[in-house]
Parts: sequence; C-alpha cells; structure tokens
Amino acid sequence: MRVEIGEDMNARTSAKYRKEKKVGEGTYANVYQGVEVATGRLVALKKIKVGDFKSGLDMSAIREVKALRELHHPNVIQLIDVFSHKTNLNLVLEFLDTDLEMVIKDTDLIFKPDDIKSWMLMTLRGLYHCHRSWVLHRDLKPNNLLIASDGQLKLADFGLARDYGDATANMTSQVVTRWYRAPELLFGAKKYGYAVDMWAVGCIFAELMLRTPYLPGDSDMDQLNTMFRALGTPTDEDWPNHTQLPDYVQFKQYPRTPLTTLFTATTPDSIDLMEKMLVYNPIKRITALEALNHPYFQNLPRPTAPKKLPKPALNINEGQVAEKRRLDPGKSI
Amino acid sequence: MAPRLSLANPLVTADQLETTPSGRDGVDPALEQQLRCTGCDLIQAAGILLGLPQVAMATAQVLVQRFYYVSSFTKFALRDTIMGALFLACKIEESPRKVKDIINVFDYVIKKKQDLPIIPLESFSPLFYDMKNGLTVAELQILKRLAFNVQVQLPYALLVNYLQCLGLTQHPRIPQMSWNYLNDGLRTNIYVSYQPPIIACAALFLAARQCQVKLPDQPPWWTVFDSDLRDLVNIAGHILSLYHTQPPPDIPLTLPELEEYQSEILKAHPPGAI
Repeated sequence: MRVEIGEDMNARTSAKYRKEKKVGEGTYANVYQGVEVATGRLVALKKIKVGDFKSGLDMSAIREVKALRELHHPNVIQLIDVFSHKTNLNLVLEFLDTDLEMVIKDTDLIFKPDDIKSWMLMTLRGLYHCHRSWVLHRDLKPNNLLIASDGQLKLADFGLARDYGDATANMTSQVVTRWYRAPELLFGAKKYGYAVDMWAVGCIFAELMLRTPYLPGDSDMDQLNTMFRALGTPTDEDWPNHTQLPDYVQFKQYPRTPLTTLFTATTPDSIDLMEKMLVYNPIKRITALEALNHPYFQNLPRPTAPKKLPKPALNINEGQVAEKRRLDPGKSI
Repeated sequence: MAPRLSLANPLVTADQLETTPSGRDGVDPALEQQLRCTGCDLIQAAGILLGLPQVAMATAQVLVQRFYYVSSFTKFALRDTIMGALFLACKIEESPRKVKDIINVFDYVIKKKQDLPIIPLESFSPLFYDMKNGLTVAELQILKRLAFNVQVQLPYALLVNYLQCLGLTQHPRIPQMSWNYLNDGLRTNIYVSYQPPIIACAALFLAARQCQVKLPDQPPWWTVFDSDLRDLVNIAGHILSLYHTQPPPDIPLTLPELEEYQSEILKAHPPGAI
C-alpha cells in the first residue's frame, strides 16, 4: 500500500457514481439512491453533513468509516467507496431494498419458524464477524438490519460502532435504541462488551415471534420496569454486584415468569436460545459464536433459504429506510 | 478498492520520499524536516496537556507525516494541520476533545515554544476564530487528501509483546527507553517508511545497545520478529539523528510566517553565493 494522493482519487471515485434521488435523512447524513455508472448497479450514497463547524466531522461518520473499512462479510453492509465532493464526505454503500422492521410490520406477511431461524442465523453470522474483529455494533434493532433483494440480511448503520476489548477504557452507556438496550447499560455501566449486542439480538428474536416490540419502555426508567415485569427483577444471585452499578435504582421485586407463557407457539430450543440471550448477568449471556452453535440452528426445521424469505411488496421509495426512521420520536436515543 | 482488515500501514514510496510536494514548491529539505519535527513535537506536548492516551498523539503525528507527503507546507499551514490531525486522531481513538480545548492548548504550547508571554487566548478574538476555522478545514483536508486512510497501526503493543518474549519487562531501563524511542521516532519519517513490527524491533534494538544488554544472536533475535538488521540500523540512525539537532524555536507555523522565513533565508544566503 502506498500513501495515495487523495485529491486525484476523489475525482476519479466521484465520477464513478451518479446520484439519483434522496431516499432518506438522518441525524448526520442524507441518503441518496445512486447508480454505479459503469455497471448500472444500484448504490446508496450517504452524504455526510459537515456544515456543523462546532465539532467538526461527526463522530458517527468516523466510526462508520472506521468500522466498515475493516468489516467484510456477506451479512454486513458493504462500504464500496468513500470520496469527498467539495466539502462533503460521501460513503458509497450497497443499496438494500428494505429492512427487518418493515418486514415485521407488514401484516400481509406470515412468518414460519423456518423464516425466523433464517433471519436469526444471518444476524448472528454478521454479528459474530463484528465481534471477532473486536467491533461492537451498539445499535442493533430490526430497523438497522437491512435486507437485500436476494433476501440476505445485512447489519447496517455503524454510526455507534466502536472497538472493544480494552478492559481499562470507559465507554458511554448512552448507546443502543432504548427498547433493545441491555440492563447493564440502563444501569449506567461504563465497561461492557459483546453482551450488549447479544441482548439486542434477544429482543429482536422475541420481536420476530411476537410481531411487536418485546420490551417497549417509554423512558429509561420505564424500560427497566417493563423488562423486569417481563423477565423478573434480577436478584444478586442472578447478577452478582449489579447493585453497585452507577445508575442502579431499586425496583419492585417482580417474579420471573417462564418465557413459554408468552411464547406459547414456539419450540423449546428457540425458547432456550432466547433465554440465554436475555440473561441479566452480562458475563453469563451467550456469545454470538455459542448462539450459532446452539441446537436451535441444528434442529429442524431448517432455516429458509434467503431468496425464499417473505418480503414486503417492493416500493422503491421505501428503500434504504434506515436513516429516516432514526428521527421517529421515542425510538432513537 | 477498500483495504481489508490489515495490520499494515500505507507507506510512502522511495520517489515520494525523494521529492516531496513541499520540495517541489521550493521548501528547503532541511527546513521541511524541521517543520515536520516541530509539528510533531507540538502535538506531543498538546496531547499530554489534554490528557490524551499516547495512541491518539501517535496517530495524529503519523497523520501529519503522511499528509505532508501528499501536500505542501506552502499551501497547508502547519499550525492548522497539527490541530486538525490531533482533533481527528482523538475521535479515531475514541477520546474526543472539544475544539475549544484543543485550540487553547495549542495556543499555549506554541507561545511556550516561541518563548512568547503566556496570555490566555480570548474566545472571541480574531486569532481564536482563525484557529478554529483552520482546524476544521484541516480536519477535512486530511481526510480528503489521504483518501480516508486515516487508520494508523502503531508499534506500542508489539513492543510490549517483544519485551515479554525476550524477558526484558523487568529490566530497569530498557522498557521505558525503547518506549521513548517509539515516541521520539514519530518526529521522523520512519512511521511512513516502515511497518510497525520493524519499528518496534528497532526501538528495542537501540535501547538494548544503549544499555549494553546482549540479546540472543543464534539466530539473531530480530529475525524471529520478521525484521532485518539493515532496516533496524537505518531506523536507529533516524531516531538518533533527532538528538543531534534541535529545530530552532522560531519555526514558521502559518503560511505568512513561512513566506517571510523563506525570504529571510534567501536574503541571508542568496542563491549562487556560498
């Protein structure tokens, strides 16, 4: 590798793509649908706003470029190119038609257990690749799991992603959209790891079965309350020393109800996996690799082939929705 | 083509080392060396005052070195580039600092270096605005002109590893001394001409020499860490050369200062005169 003269590369790269129409707007970027001129392939152009002279380039943009430059996996969105045009930075990403939230919300679609298994498998494969590369996603939710036209699910929106593994580094607990936020984060833990992403995957798993968010809290406090009502208030035995966490508050002692009372129509192996993802003690929570090796994925039914998964009727205007939904009140932090 | 996960740094070619953009714009090679050295020195000093981890300072210094192999000192002011580089490096290394703090600290370390009276910078003064503007533009220019290759792999962790392999972690001087060589080496071009493992070996090689500690030579220890003697000696030479000459304190940090500085050199030593 040599140190490239970026200026020349920018001009060359920028000419490779044609911007077509705006498809979404997020906190730090506008998303456009575009075309790679030479091949006609659809791409998403994420144009990062740099008008804000207060803090320079947004941290999310740096995190996203940094994470996606390292990660290459069929279940992680591909960063095709990066270039700047005038004073804007542009990320060129794969264009993906829809996301898991749209799929869940589409009441015309019926999910079979095989479909859910397939989405879980792809999510965990993508996530295992991130964790193996020492990257935490920190914002997993159905809305950030994009789905390609061939049915492949891809982890997207790495604006909160960061590397982990340094036991001494403090990290912010203000991450992950509330409904998918792990209990240790809600209690203000500054040191955490892969387990925060696994909790979110557990919530997504439950949401796929229920077709509605599993733990929809209205506020951070209510989130904990909702969680404890559903899963029981943790005792010191379940989760040693959690009362020492910075933002610990005592809650009413709810009893633990077995998941089978809510998830009546499902198999014991899926309940077992979900329970292992929703373990309060982060150290005991299942890892992505362990989850992939869980009997749930070996037992029948076999996961549906991605191509055959249920999909909403394609409406191109709804494509690449990840960004615009972030603005919905009460859903993002 | 986006690079895959890699523990390698982009390096400059021999041609790029030979003819720098500043050289083409008439900056004397010796002056360019002093500019690079001074810039990195200021980053290190500012980083310490900002309480940053060493990796953030190191990343910033390597970015500055890379940047001036694709850009000229006559077009991008050193002062702005070092501020922008440190600002960006803080974010890359997940230790963000406020723009205001970075400006104030750089103002302080620059005044200190130039032996000027230390008067706190006013937040609404023209100089503050000038620095703020320079910093934000520089951040973007660095990203742009380095084509977003701003990830820097550093040799610190490797050095610790090598010290452990050679049973040197308890030595009274070698660990700190070799660490210091890595820090000082940031002011030279070694980080843009060699990969981290070779740099780590060279720092260790030099420290062991200085402390007169004999390391395994059957086979030579560095071969185990994929280095060769010629590179080690070359890097050691670059590091040691830092201790022979100090850049003068009045190194020009802005474009007008640089212009004036160069015209004064020209007056003192007109071309053709010896």
